Amino acid sequence: MFVYEKKLQYPVRIKNTNPRLAALIISQYGGPDGELGASLRYLSQRFSMPFPEQKGLLTDIGTEELGHLEMVGAIVHQLTRNLTEEQQRAAGFDAYFVDHTAGVYPTAASGFPFSAASIAVKGDPIADLTEDLAAEQKARVTYDNILRLSDDPDVNDVIKFLRQREIVHFQRFGEAIQCLRERLNQKNVYYMNPAVDL
Amino acid sequence: MQERMEESGLGRLPQYAPLANPYVPYQSCGAATYPAKRGVVRGTLFPGLDLPFLGMVNEGELPNLPLHELQALSFAITELGLYLDTHTDDTEALELFRRYVALYEDGAAQYQEKYGPLRLQCAGKNGRYNWLQSPWPWEYDAKQED
Repeated sequence: MFVYEKKLQYPVRIKNTNPRLAALIISQYGGPDGELGASLRYLSQRFSMPFPEQKGLLTDIGTEELGHLEMVGAIVHQLTRNLTEEQQRAAGFDAYFVDHTAGVYPTAASGFPFSAASIAVKGDPIADLTEDLAAEQKARVTYDNILRLSDDPDVNDVIKFLRQREIVHFQRFGEAIQCLRERLNQKNVYYMNPAVDL
Repeated sequence: MQERMEESGLGRLPQYAPLANPYVPYQSCGAATYPAKRGVVRGTLFPGLDLPFLGMVNEGELPNLPLHELQALSFAITELGLYLDTHTDDTEALELFRRYVALYEDGAAQYQEKYGPLRLQCAGKNGRYNWLQSPWPWEYDAKQED
């Protein structure tokens, strides 16, 4: 089960509102490489993992990603608090405003609502963990791109933290594949699907 | 004892890695770590994994607030937990993990006594249900000092 802890993993305190920036950051909430997809991907993939290292790691990283989802939601919320009428109309935010007001909705910055099609659960440990390596890299690049586009130091402070976590997760998923290989037939790790055939 | 992998960021690959397999070098045991308060602003406890984009790095430490102390400790626990998931035999890392857990439990008990509950089960401690107390974690806290 999950228990809520009433604190963020890393502090989010955005002094200045900026709805246009919020409309970009929202992509890491509900976009194709965002934190909602990350948490669902890992917390779903773990069910078919046959060995303890991968069950544990997917549970722990999936849980951390839920904390990141909360942080990204906090950034969007704080960037859009107490908006003036002019800010509501701001180009780049008006389309979001008409659909969601200042609510936090899982969507990509490009306007596409969250889609489970952006994650995968193949039910084969090597395939799923290889997907996770790619997922961490894509999330890392999205944070790189946000850093390119944002000049708000309060936002960037948090984005740098989140970006660095993707790198650490990539490392751990790589190690989890090695742990997996050591438990398989090393001459041919593709001999069978350990989620099905063990 | 393995030599300390200071800030090198180097790991190890198997000598005969099979073909057609994705490989990420395994982080060596005994890697150097930042203290929790520095690690949390860098986003990792491990200098070898600290790889910023275009030189954009968070310097310094979090402001010295009670909640930030807990965030730093809890971050160290998360980070070492992930590390231990793939390095179950690293006794040095386990010892560090246990130290941070002890500090966190201590700090969390004191914090909740003074500032309110972090978990629902601590919400009725003083004969008053104070779970709903503001601010919630995502809210902008104007009162907090800069």
